[in-house]
Amino acid sequence: MTQTRRQLLPFYFLAPALLVELAIIFYPVLQTTWMSLFDFVLFRPNSVPFLGFGNFARAFADPVFWLSLGNSAIWIVGVVALQFLLGLGTALLLNQSFWWRGMARALVVIPWALPSVIIGLMWTWMYDYNLGVINDLLLRLHLIAEPIAWLARPDTTLPSIMLALIWQGFPFFAVTILAGLQTVPAEQIEAAEIDGANAWQRLISVVLPSIAEVLATVLLLRTIWVANSLDVILVMTGGGPGYASYTLPLYAFLKAYSGMEYGYGAALSLILTVLLLAVVYFYVRRVSRVEGTA
Amino acid sequence: MERRTFVKLTGAAALAGALARPAAAQQQTTITWWYHFDNPQASPADLVSQFEAKNPSIKIDAQNIPWGGGTDYYTRLFAALVAGNGPDTALVKLSNQARLLELQALAPLDDMIAGWNGKSDIADSIWTLNKASDGKQYYLPAQYVVIYLYYRADLFKAAGVEPPKTFDEFRSVAKAVTKGGVFGFGMRGGAGGYDNWGPFVLGGGANFSKGGMVSDAALKANRDYVGFFTTDKIVPPSAPTDGFQQIIANFKAGRSAMAIHHVGSSVDMDKALGDKVSAVPVPRGADGKGWTLYGDESNAIFSAAKDKAAAFKWITYLSGEGNAELVKLSGQLSVTTSGAKQDTLHPARFVQASTDSLPIAGVLPDSSKTADFVSTVWPTNMQQALLGQITPDQMMQAIDKQFNG
Repeated sequence: MTQTRRQLLPFYFLAPALLVELAIIFYPVLQTTWMSLFDFVLFRPNSVPFLGFGNFARAFADPVFWLSLGNSAIWIVGVVALQFLLGLGTALLLNQSFWWRGMARALVVIPWALPSVIIGLMWTWMYDYNLGVINDLLLRLHLIAEPIAWLARPDTTLPSIMLALIWQGFPFFAVTILAGLQTVPAEQIEAAEIDGANAWQRLISVVLPSIAEVLATVLLLRTIWVANSLDVILVMTGGGPGYASYTLPLYAFLKAYSGMEYGYGAALSLILTVLLLAVVYFYVRRVSRVEGTA
Repeated sequence: MERRTFVKLTGAAALAGALARPAAAQQQTTITWWYHFDNPQASPADLVSQFEAKNPSIKIDAQNIPWGGGTDYYTRLFAALVAGNGPDTALVKLSNQARLLELQALAPLDDMIAGWNGKSDIADSIWTLNKASDGKQYYLPAQYVVIYLYYRADLFKAAGVEPPKTFDEFRSVAKAVTKGGVFGFGMRGGAGGYDNWGPFVLGGGANFSKGGMVSDAALKANRDYVGFFTTDKIVPPSAPTDGFQQIIANFKAGRSAMAIHHVGSSVDMDKALGDKVSAVPVPRGADGKGWTLYGDESNAIFSAAKDKAAAFKWITYLSGEGNAELVKLSGQLSVTTSGAKQDTLHPARFVQASTDSLPIAGVLPDSSKTADFVSTVWPTNMQQALLGQITPDQMMQAIDKQFNG
């Protein structure tokens, strides 16, 4: 085999995967970018005027865009942070020894395994004003004097949907962190214990630093997923009441799907993509660094 | 017969069969039909086989497309038509006729309808409602529903009230039954709730022409409707996001005494509540004027369809001979006069409420902006008005701007 052929060999092996990647990721991204420069309305395919950056200018002047962006920030930070804390706590519990640990580990994955539409419908009925179990429980416990319309009030709607998504997503953190915890050498923890470190000090000074790479990777990955997720919101409120639960991906989806304004929808999606690229950049850097040290 | 002769004849017969088959296949045409039914288990397989048995040269490829509140169905339909990959014919509603026309996707049916002997079995008023803005007929009516008022007869009896005929009566009846966790009216403020709003606001004097939403009568009618929630407190606090499932569940559970829907839910209502539920036309204004939504469902043939004559045969079967079977699957009412008389699917009192509502039944504007009004403009503005984020008058200005701005 000549030197040139040897050098090209890895590219031959990679070519099929790259071609698939080009076809299913890069081509749609390019098409979306191209579409965002036009006033492309699905039912007017014969009249597609070129707008340049007009759709982007429209977005920056659109109050619903800014409202959706603000809600997206609350959504991402709130959901990811609480999923992380709940997942970490669950992982620490599941890392302890108890006789039904195997069953507990299996049960905790159930919310993650359920389809988002089921989660949305289930929580919608749990929150229901008249027939929901949450109001019923709170009334029986005398924590509220009358039922609360959780999904019909602008102050409770977004937090209520966030709670549903936190419940759905925390098992991902729990299972991934649990896998990381099992790689922490027992000797290190024992040494810290002998040195007089209490449980909290052992967690902060030994356990968490040992799984820092896992935590960072899982946080970045989940941030990207949560930022893009819209299915649970769509099922539970469709963005309402008013614009109270509009997030950026939902707004882009509704503009493209309901309004058939594909040009504007594409521009909104691209803005979200650019914002997420910062997170992706950190994720890729981290993965490269981990692989480099492996 | 000699063995050799038998072999020859068998060979000839086999050859003739083989040659005949491609000839038949060449004559057969396949018509793709997109449909949706509320009940996902309802299958038109029998309907298709009955048609194919009578029309052996036409094969029907019936494809069930997810409805998804209408958004899924129409986005798929428009995307398929733009991509040149659409069906030959499909079930469609008037709210999307203008958009389909703008796409130049519809084939005019006037000439074919003129020669169809089932034409006279469909009332003139239905033909008129289905006519496009250019005066042509692109839709062949298949089935319909009319929005009416369900009421809980048991709760009305306990409160000593009668079904309301006017807006004022509606408010006082609702107030009379609102007590002890029961609300007078299960208002639908979420998706699809424009059909609850229409009878009170369009019936109260609003219309979609320029300035029609901001006239004094229109603004008052909308203020009154929003007031059911904000001041009269005759609807549940969850109303801003309550959709079909919520209003029906609350009504069945006795948490609301009135709900607005159509005959499509009547079988289920009757099964759950028996004679505790009945229906009347929606209330009207003091001047006797009113409005309710004519929920249409027709079949259209698309301009890209290769064999329009075969497609027309299929859709006329659905609006004629096969109509009774179609409405059984959809739970709606037959557009044919003969079919309506033979309806045994729905309890009679609900069919009566539907036919009694026809004189005031209307449709939304034949505009490409109607679909966006239904899916986005109405719900976001209605919900904001209910929650006090905008005034009822600002809501009406937003709707006026949507159609005339």
